[in-house]
Amino acid sequence: MAGTAIRTGRRSRRRTSASRENVAGWLFVAPVVAILGLFLLLPILMALWVSLTDWNGQGSPFRTGVPFVGLDNYTGLFVRDDLSRRNFMISIRNTFSYVVIVVPAQTVLALGLALAVHRRTLRGRGFFRTAFYFPSVTSSVAISVLFLFIFSDSGAVTELLAIFGVEGPQWFSDSRGLLHLLLSALGLADVDAPPPVLTGGGAFGLSWWEWLSGPSVAMCTIIVLAVWTTSGTFMLMFLAALQDIPVALEEASMLDGASRRQRLWYVTLPMLKPTLFLVLTLGLIATWQVFDQVYVMSQGGPAKTTLTPAYLSYRTAFRDFDYGSGAAISFVLFLLIVLLAALQRWVMRDRDAVGDLRRPRPRRS
Amino acid sequence: MPPAADRDAPARTAGRSRGTGAEARAPAAAFAGYAVLVFSALVFLYPFVIQVANAFKTEPDAAANPLSPIPDPVSTAGFERVFLDTGMPLWLGNSLLVTLVVTAGRVFLDSLAGYALARLRFRGRRALFSAIVAVMAVPGVVLFIPKFLVLNQLGVYDSYPALVVPVIADAAGVFIMKQFFESIPVSVEEAARIDGAGVFRTFWSVVLPMARPALITLTIISFQGTWNEFPHTLVAVQDPSLFTLPRGLADLVSGSLGAGTRYPLKLSAAVLATIPVAVVFAVFQRYFVRGANEGAEKG
Amino acid sequence: MRHPGAHTAALAAVAAGALLTSAACGSGFDDSAGRSTGQSGGPAALRVLIGSSGDAETAAVRSAAGTWAKASGNTATITPAQDLTQQLGQAFAGSNPPDVFYVDASRFADYASVGALEPYGDRISGSGDFYPSLRTAFSRDGVFYCAPKDFSTLALIVDDDLWKKAGLTGADVPTTWERLTSVAKKIKAAGITPLVVGDTHERIGAFMVQAGGWITSDDGRRAIADSAENVTALRYVRGLLKDGLARFPKQLDAGWGGEAFGRGRAAMTVEGNWIRGAMKADHPDVAYTVHALPAGPRGEGTLSFTTCWGIAAKSRHKEQAISFVEAMTRADQQMAFARAFGVMPSRRSAKAVFTREFPDDTPFVNGADYAHGPVNAPRMDSVLADFDDGLQQLASIDPKTLLARLQKNTRDALGD
Repeated sequence: MAGTAIRTGRRSRRRTSASRENVAGWLFVAPVVAILGLFLLLPILMALWVSLTDWNGQGSPFRTGVPFVGLDNYTGLFVRDDLSRRNFMISIRNTFSYVVIVVPAQTVLALGLALAVHRRTLRGRGFFRTAFYFPSVTSSVAISVLFLFIFSDSGAVTELLAIFGVEGPQWFSDSRGLLHLLLSALGLADVDAPPPVLTGGGAFGLSWWEWLSGPSVAMCTIIVLAVWTTSGTFMLMFLAALQDIPVALEEASMLDGASRRQRLWYVTLPMLKPTLFLVLTLGLIATWQVFDQVYVMSQGGPAKTTLTPAYLSYRTAFRDFDYGSGAAISFVLFLLIVLLAALQRWVMRDRDAVGDLRRPRPRRS
Repeated sequence: MPPAADRDAPARTAGRSRGTGAEARAPAAAFAGYAVLVFSALVFLYPFVIQVANAFKTEPDAAANPLSPIPDPVSTAGFERVFLDTGMPLWLGNSLLVTLVVTAGRVFLDSLAGYALARLRFRGRRALFSAIVAVMAVPGVVLFIPKFLVLNQLGVYDSYPALVVPVIADAAGVFIMKQFFESIPVSVEEAARIDGAGVFRTFWSVVLPMARPALITLTIISFQGTWNEFPHTLVAVQDPSLFTLPRGLADLVSGSLGAGTRYPLKLSAAVLATIPVAVVFAVFQRYFVRGANEGAEKG
Repeated sequence: MRHPGAHTAALAAVAAGALLTSAACGSGFDDSAGRSTGQSGGPAALRVLIGSSGDAETAAVRSAAGTWAKASGNTATITPAQDLTQQLGQAFAGSNPPDVFYVDASRFADYASVGALEPYGDRISGSGDFYPSLRTAFSRDGVFYCAPKDFSTLALIVDDDLWKKAGLTGADVPTTWERLTSVAKKIKAAGITPLVVGDTHERIGAFMVQAGGWITSDDGRRAIADSAENVTALRYVRGLLKDGLARFPKQLDAGWGGEAFGRGRAAMTVEGNWIRGAMKADHPDVAYTVHALPAGPRGEGTLSFTTCWGIAAKSRHKEQAISFVEAMTRADQQMAFARAFGVMPSRRSAKAVFTREFPDDTPFVNGADYAHGPVNAPRMDSVLADFDDGLQQLASIDPKTLLARLQKNTRDALGD
């Protein structure tokens, strides 16, 4: 960067104003560039190196003598039949079932809330909007503590279920998968004696039966928490999009004699499509990163059913001193999220095109 | 995006002239709609009622009547224990210090960079902006080990600078400020420059005052984000005297004090972690709303 | 945003290059882990990280440290760790670990092998007085690293009131697995949960010892986890769980067996002598007695646990730290700890005083004769954690599958 400054300095004798702006520009962005470079770019490069070594956390990872193992930490996650692959695959399975439930649930809930709050004749709109959004702004750790209490065995949910005569499960110690429970409720399989067809074969070190467990009962508490805290944010995005729908369009459809349901289905929802895609992709990106709640509420237990890649990466590095493998996990997660983000970018471009067709983009003021 | 109220005004009149008839036809449906909304609001808010109520309960009461919104008897033992037996006073102080410094730093540094990217023509501007947009996509949770490594390498691990410096600038804030500065008419600045004001002076005394709404939005979301920040503190410090409130709270719950249920104690700590953001939220609600939607635009 | 590729890459490369250069100048990593670091004499502010068993232990250690500090002119800050292993891991990788910390026997090999521990053991006066088995637990390549702080064994803890409520007498305390089952059935018939047992190998492992099995061979070189003895043990525990004769603490909404037991949620538990301190502090009204664990097919068996006072190789106050440990491991101080939270002194010279003062704890002390120590090999932590996760599902998993997995993972870790 010093080089840039010198070069600009030379040119300044000729084009004073332009080069002054050049210097000023770089001076203005310098602090941000330095911090993002030093604490984002550089660390990622350092971790990339560590993920190729067997560094055990003693001394600097950048001295000679730290064993270089190439892609070993990565192949260990996918190919080698050992504990690290098993843990990683379990974390993928858990998070997948988490994502598959949380993303549709929070999207539908957010859309429903937005449609309800958007009704122009509604009294107390501000209140409802505030109520639904409030959980989104509070501390994830504090919320996790609250949910620990609400779902404890003597907690509010258990008491609530008891009012309806239902004996609630022991939420945080129940490692049974929902899909397993469903199968056994339907009489298709016995949780205690799973069918040998499914336990016999498998992929990546887990049997088909293990892959098909669905989220555990304990994971459900984190699922509820996630839906509860994020719906408000997404509701606001839907609300903003709803406000952008031209009134004339709705009026025209009303004149055509469309019923409320028809208007929703044929006018409103198509107009919301870009936002819907946005919410879905943002949800996908965020859910794959779940960490805080796991750290506070379950630490991966019971029986690893709330283990997620983010938490596993943390634990592998800082608990098992296997920094190489931990870093490799985080890079695999990184890659996954980059792919999702690329998908989102692509969707956004689509959205901008729609926006341009629909109306001149309002300037922010 | 214009404030919601502005855009609602014509919409509301238009809606009323035709809409009331349709609504009047189905009072039952309207009532059902309200019932669903009120029920939903209860689902979203009642957990906080439970949180506050149980923080003031005795331990047996909290275990026996977790749902009740009224503590019987009212007890402040949970709060007393939190302040006397845990590092709470220290955590509160650390959280306050870190939040104030980081928020001030972010607002200043992000505005500087956002202004430069919006207005100053310097070499590499486009590339830099692309880089910042790319950085926004980097998920925080994959940075645990990287951040820990760099803090260690720089010799600042386990210190106040480790808590503050890495998060004192953020790409999303730069993005928000850039978008905002682009919406301000150029003519004002040009007038100032013709008067001979330097670039920084123009920025500081002409442009920045006009950016008040965006600055408030950025302040609010920085405050909220920093106050609630947890993963960063996890890899930046391990000395309990450097814990912020979320880190201390996490320790309290699963740590050695976590043996035994002790929910009034934990919940009162959680209440303390929630209050500042709740107050700021209540006062500056519309800026939060704006922030959330800026977030949507940022991709 | 339209043509970001080349520009971004070039910029990133330049920035990264500049940063790498600048970062190389000031490295916080202390590369001289083995070398003696700059020592400072005089008054020191020691940082002590403990993996406390509860408030009782934290308070007792704080008070003892206060006494030492006053007498020696130093200060010592006691911090109970949330997760000792993880906090130590971060601390060792940093340049400034706590001066003194607990080291569990099961993690000792991991820490010692990477040079994180100061081998000071024989500089403690009367270091030959420690039980030989405890010295072995904290020795590597013949070097005695750190002074054992105490030790404990598991026993059967019985709630007197619930026992009476179930119509049982002292003669009914089970001495064998068969009698444990029959007594548990009677207790269950009275509407009481008979037994709460921790869901880890550190509790259930006792049944494996009683059946004649264990995870590793005596020399710690071979995996013997998939033995028929271990299958017998796990099948027995599984039976208890499935019949509702035993419960895990979490199932009783408790963090550990002692909490569930103290709250009167189960008539029996399998816990160590640390339960004394917790009961005294949290449930002083509960009357209970301590008995030897029921014998299995291969006779009596229990597990022993021990922890040492580790001193960081990177500590700048090693002399003061050794003086601190010296004070903590004196026989009279260990007796004070024994009174506060129910551990047993690691010094043989304290045994007589201990048994005189705590005749009720005789079953714990006697356990030393037939107890099995922790798995003592590096890289076993995640293997055992995986086994524990399996044990949590013991009610729904076939013991053979579980043990086969343990066997495989242990072999991987040991290079067997």
